[in-house]
Amino acid sequence: MQLITILVVSFLGAAMVYLVGKISARTRNLLAVLVSLAVIILVSLTYNQKISTDFYSLPFLNLSLGLRIDSLSWFFAIAVAAIGFLSIIFSLEYMRNYQRPNFYYFMMLFVNAAMLGIVLSADFLSFYIFWEIMSWSTYLLISYKGGKAVAAGLKYIVMSIAGSVAMLFAIVSLYASYGTLEISSLSSLLQSASPGYILFLLLMFVIGFGLKNAIWPLHTWLPDAHAEAVSPFSAVLSGILVRMGMYGFVLVMYGIIGVSLLHKLRYGILNFNYILCWIGAITIVIPTFTALLQDDSKRLLAWHGVGQGGYMVLGIGIATSLGIAGGIFHTLNHCIYIALLFLVAGAIEYRTGGVRDLNELGGLIKKMPVTFIAGLAGISGLIGIPLTNGFISKWLIYKTLIVENYPFLAFAALIGTWGTILSVYKFLHNIFLGQLPEKYKDVKEVPWTMQLPMIVLTLAIILFGIFPGIPLKVISMIEKSFGVEPLSTTMLGMPKEIGELNTINILAAVLVAGGVVYLLFSLSAKSRKVNQEDSYAAGSFVPKDRYQYSVRFYDQVYRIIKPYLHDVVDNFYYWLARKSKDFFQVVRQIYTGNINTYVLYIIFFLAFLIFVKLGWSLW
Amino acid sequence: MVISAVWMVVLPLIALVIGVFFLGLARKVIARIHRRYGPPIYQPIIDIVKLVNQESISHGRIFDIGAILSLAGSIVLVLFIPFGGIAPLATSGDLLVVIYLMLLMPVGIALSGGEAANPNVSISISRKMMLALAYEVPFLFAVLAVMTYYKTTSLMEVVRAQQNSFWGAVYLPLPALAYFMILPAMLGIRPFDVVSAPQEIASGTAVEYGGKYLALTTIEHAIHTYIVVGLFVNLFLGGGNPFIFFVKMLIVFLIGLFINAVFPRLRIDQAIKYCWKWPTILALAGLIIARIM
Repeated sequence: MQLITILVVSFLGAAMVYLVGKISARTRNLLAVLVSLAVIILVSLTYNQKISTDFYSLPFLNLSLGLRIDSLSWFFAIAVAAIGFLSIIFSLEYMRNYQRPNFYYFMMLFVNAAMLGIVLSADFLSFYIFWEIMSWSTYLLISYKGGKAVAAGLKYIVMSIAGSVAMLFAIVSLYASYGTLEISSLSSLLQSASPGYILFLLLMFVIGFGLKNAIWPLHTWLPDAHAEAVSPFSAVLSGILVRMGMYGFVLVMYGIIGVSLLHKLRYGILNFNYILCWIGAITIVIPTFTALLQDDSKRLLAWHGVGQGGYMVLGIGIATSLGIAGGIFHTLNHCIYIALLFLVAGAIEYRTGGVRDLNELGGLIKKMPVTFIAGLAGISGLIGIPLTNGFISKWLIYKTLIVENYPFLAFAALIGTWGTILSVYKFLHNIFLGQLPEKYKDVKEVPWTMQLPMIVLTLAIILFGIFPGIPLKVISMIEKSFGVEPLSTTMLGMPKEIGELNTINILAAVLVAGGVVYLLFSLSAKSRKVNQEDSYAAGSFVPKDRYQYSVRFYDQVYRIIKPYLHDVVDNFYYWLARKSKDFFQVVRQIYTGNINTYVLYIIFFLAFLIFVKLGWSLW
Repeated sequence: MVISAVWMVVLPLIALVIGVFFLGLARKVIARIHRRYGPPIYQPIIDIVKLVNQESISHGRIFDIGAILSLAGSIVLVLFIPFGGIAPLATSGDLLVVIYLMLLMPVGIALSGGEAANPNVSISISRKMMLALAYEVPFLFAVLAVMTYYKTTSLMEVVRAQQNSFWGAVYLPLPALAYFMILPAMLGIRPFDVVSAPQEIASGTAVEYGGKYLALTTIEHAIHTYIVVGLFVNLFLGGGNPFIFFVKMLIVFLIGLFINAVFPRLRIDQAIKYCWKWPTILALAGLIIARIM
């Protein structure tokens, strides 16, 4: 099958949806769902194939634009397609009250198409073009709601441009040195490059991809952008769009440069991978504990998006078979549970009239049970409770860190998990548990089109947690294509030589133990069902609607950690922006608008030229 | 195969018996230190039997499931922790799995309590989470020191390595001491009983529990005591055969009890500062030494 079909369907489909929307809203929605479904089917048809084609040649640069697919691209492509499909379904109800729906659906499909373009590109020129299409359409979608969202979008696009420029710098230099931008030929050509040049390339790509993947200290755009975007798009943004940076990292580090060359980049005990690992560790700890301080549901999740990105960077940074597998697997897992959690936050917004403040909610468990289960599954995956998907990938990363003797990196990863537990429990508690405020007495469960994507993602979390072999099989194919020793996997957990983990036994044990306890529970005296509000308060009376314990939920911890969590980086960027603005204000004074001054400049310049011409030889 | 299946049934029962014995013993010992007579050692058993037969109230399905999950999580955890070299599920999960499975207990309780709209429960869970974050820092350093020193993540390997030479505490005295210092925080006994704190928040998470729910949490508490002390004996005191293992657990528990019976309750912020001070410094120093060795 032609790869170009996938792109044609996705790009043309987006345009069609826009045009059809002018005529009928209902047909537009149907078409949007069909297009995203078609993309999933087309992508899944290319499973385990290796295709590469040229689709357009550029005569003036002597380059041709090409497409290709291998295990790595397929892995990301299917994730893009799946998350795109689910968020479109979620949007059907969610976006009902928003203006300009045609534009919204067009952009959602367009962003997905651009991401597919990125992962399917066979050369860096197409890669860059699709990358820019993605960046700019993301900007439009982030600022879609107007108001605060415009500022968030602007912050994003300014930083994104800086990253793109760095990437362009590397790409141009590759073209200048080797005369080609094809990924497959570059990977063999670069093997003879000097370590200094490789380091330069990596640095530029790390800035470019690191900005998208939001690694510390390039993360500051992300919390604003995620919080202000509409929820279905936040799911796409945090789930997969940001992880295009991970795709880039994996592609450049292992697909092109390769492990053996990376190991040569060392100076004393410092090497590139080790530094990348520490950046990953910092990216875990600081954002995760910052998330603890957040009161806005989507902002809290956004900071976790940054923090979990640290695990992925740490995984691929460690450059062992387990580590790379863990990093890539965590990318997929994160994509599933964070998308789910953003959809949950969106469902809450939808039913409560746009409330994101965690201090205003509470007790919704009885009103929105499906959303609660989805939220519970989401936070379990995010924490990595055994039998959910997040556990397996984190286990792989911890395991390799300990075995390779990096206990401090392992500590950063483990303590990050504890920070996660605290903040996501707060997320769940403040929304669903405790007292129900009177104003939400009539809140209902969300309609089924919003439930469906949440249920699918919940099942995916549990499926990959119990049968990690399904995705790990593809990941070991990816590793094989990199020339790394592939992770040997079985369907259920890990083979003996890698470590002791068997998810099906853990599942069986939990089920049996749960069954026994349940038996004891049901044989005991019956319990009487009472209302949530009917509770014991040591002789005093708990008034309704007033005693929801949620503001500053972890007060004592806040007091201790807050002084250490100033966002120094963000303040620095704002300072830089302010200073640049001042500087440009000064520069602007040159343009007085007065013709006489301009003539003066011209005369000065001519005088300078004459001086150079005549005076140069005298020195 | 059959033997390991038998152990899977027997081991949780052993854990239950030892745990319940420890709970009863603790009440007796503390009473004697306070110059009271104290209840009989088998008092917890009487309590459990009585509670199971009493009527209770339920706030909904998650209220039930959370309580069940919490106890089930603890029972599963017992199967991963070697009891005198016997651990039926040791090949299905290592120390990392154990660290993570320790989560099921507080998460279950937190979910269950959360469904009741009682602010005391919420305060108690918030304290539990903060306390867990506090003791988890030195705990992780100590466990990482062990894993780094023995270059394995397998609990069985750690125990085996100690049987061929001296105890882990000989090589890793600082992490062992740090773990011992946070033991009461992990067990939730005085001076770290901020989570239950009957006089402040009406027993916290247990405030809505009556009858069988209270019985489940008592059993859960007993097994949790077994797990925390048993893990310490496995990591630092070299395991041993089942009888020696039990004696070591008893000694560790009693020493901890003597020290902690005389201290009044700390506030949560004091508890956090305590955990993040000396235990953390000691465990971190131990980890650095283990990394260099």
